[in-house]
Amino acid sequence: MAEPESTTATTSASLTFSRPVFAKLSPHPYLLRNLSPADGQPATRTNGRTPREARPVQINVSSLSHAHGSALVRTGDTTVICGVRGEILPVGQIPQFRPPSSQQQQQEQEQEQDGSSAAGRRELKEYDLLVPNIELATGSAPQFLPGVPPTPLAQTLSTRVYSLLHATGLVRAEDLRVWYMPPAAAAEGEQDQGGRMEGVEGSGEDEEAREQQLVAYWVLYIDLLFISFDGNPFDAAWAAVVAALKDTKLPAARWDPDREMVVCSRTETKKLDVRGLPVACSAAVFLEKEHGEPGEGRHWLLLDPDRLEESLCKEVITMVVDCSDGEAKVKSLEKQGGTVLGRELIRAFAGVAEGRWREVKEAMR
Amino acid sequence: MTDRRRINGPVGATIPPVFEDTLTQELKAVKKRSRPPNAIRKMYLKTGVTPSASGSAYLEIETTGKPGVSGLKLSCSVHGPRSLPRSSPFSPHMVLSTHVKYAPFATNKRRGYLRDPIERDLGTHLEAALRGAIIADRWPKSGVDIIISIVEGDQDRETSKFQGDEMWDMMNALSGCITVASAALADAGIDCVDTVAGGVAALVQESGDDSTSPNIVVDPIPSEHDKILAACCVAYLPTRDEITNLWFKGDLPASEMELYTKMVEKGIQASRHANRVLIECLTETIG
Repeated sequence: MAEPESTTATTSASLTFSRPVFAKLSPHPYLLRNLSPADGQPATRTNGRTPREARPVQINVSSLSHAHGSALVRTGDTTVICGVRGEILPVGQIPQFRPPSSQQQQQEQEQEQDGSSAAGRRELKEYDLLVPNIELATGSAPQFLPGVPPTPLAQTLSTRVYSLLHATGLVRAEDLRVWYMPPAAAAEGEQDQGGRMEGVEGSGEDEEAREQQLVAYWVLYIDLLFISFDGNPFDAAWAAVVAALKDTKLPAARWDPDREMVVCSRTETKKLDVRGLPVACSAAVFLEKEHGEPGEGRHWLLLDPDRLEESLCKEVITMVVDCSDGEAKVKSLEKQGGTVLGRELIRAFAGVAEGRWREVKEAMR
Repeated sequence: MTDRRRINGPVGATIPPVFEDTLTQELKAVKKRSRPPNAIRKMYLKTGVTPSASGSAYLEIETTGKPGVSGLKLSCSVHGPRSLPRSSPFSPHMVLSTHVKYAPFATNKRRGYLRDPIERDLGTHLEAALRGAIIADRWPKSGVDIIISIVEGDQDRETSKFQGDEMWDMMNALSGCITVASAALADAGIDCVDTVAGGVAALVQESGDDSTSPNIVVDPIPSEHDKILAACCVAYLPTRDEITNLWFKGDLPASEMELYTKMVEKGIQASRHANRVLIECLTETIG
């Protein structure tokens, strides 16, 4: 009885390949067959997800002791660690430094309600106060090996994070300034003798005569390390940056006039004020015809693509949305590599991105 | 020269935060070692953290409970064996290449992205330790890459002023690297004669005065001891009773051969402890 069964089993085993073998041999037909099953079943991807299904996000914060803020983000098999570290940049070290005038500060106070001021943005950009870097060459995937300069992908990712940090105004220059209040010549002894970190509060009306001096800036080194890489690096990296910045606590800094340097308090820390919660959401367009013109044949929009899907798709869209004010605001939109996604599809994608925002927000709590 | 492929930050040099009490306050009293001299710290080992690699492992060594002291966190991935590029000369056995890299946020001082001499040193010693364990003849003309990222170096956050502190930290880092690489190699299914594990022993002088004779401890934390005279890191194969790599640092008078052998013995003992964790982790994965 058992014998014929076992023989059929062995013959079928010798004729068919396992799924990973198919994926390796002919990836495009393999994914296509999965997306368009013959017998009316819903389309699933090779990783078992539906086209509009993203991998769940896991976020851990404050696990590193040497960084001022840190986060570990895991989406599926993509794992990234982010560490934020503050260092002091004295204004004397900045070539062509222009101290913000007191008038400007006044303006900033007024503008503070509606996000960061133009002067603050200029400072962040001109003095390079945010330094994000992404390292992929940690053996996170076979194509990224150390010992060579950073790959084009790593360079692009770093630059995208850099420009998005400036575009979203997540961190304001006001929080990175270190102030010094020179002691009054006469007896105004009841005021605090040192400088204060948050300058805006320190400048009351009665001490208008003594002007605060900007002595230094904090520079935030944001370093990202991929432990494991399985597609969609930007979403994971950006989530890690936001989570780590939200976790960042810089030590309270003041200017010591005797030593002529900035000293920090060991006990007192100040949480970095991060504005909003922008979340990146990426998807790739998979075309039915492998080498055909875009537009002919069917296409699928695959949310949160993995490594196999990323290698087969040319057109990629990344949308950064922020719904913390109640309604969804598109902070950034990047699309490259094709013409399939038109106006309607992009509008529909905004809804998908909103759903992703909720998931990530839930994970950050 | 600046690295134009990375974002370098401000032109002027930035200064890591200087704390108020750095100069005024005397060095804090050294926290005494709470473990017995022949016990190593607890460690956590897991394989398969990087699915796209042939083999991978993650190692974490516990902190001593004191806040501000970080344990060691290592992530290792193994890629290969794969064919060597055409340009490379013929090799009758597998070519190992090891990379050890500290993350920029791993230590007190921010590290750059380029490999520094310490990391090169660690890589060379790691290669020597593993070469003795791998049966390299089974893979001619092929290469394997072993990459270790030190996510968190074993360094005290508050005591950066210890002389030569980093030198002793390297020993602990190397022993961790050897253990985690051995687990990753086993996870990759690369044939080894035995599982190699690292162990550290150190000769320490307590409480400053020279009357007490120095004693030997395993798995030392530099901030827990007044002075470390010498340390050695051993890579040891337990079932074959062989040492594949021995790294010794410090001053020992040449006459005290006995002390030297004793230290190596203690290092072997530490390595045996680490090996037990390693074996348990690997059997868990299989079973």
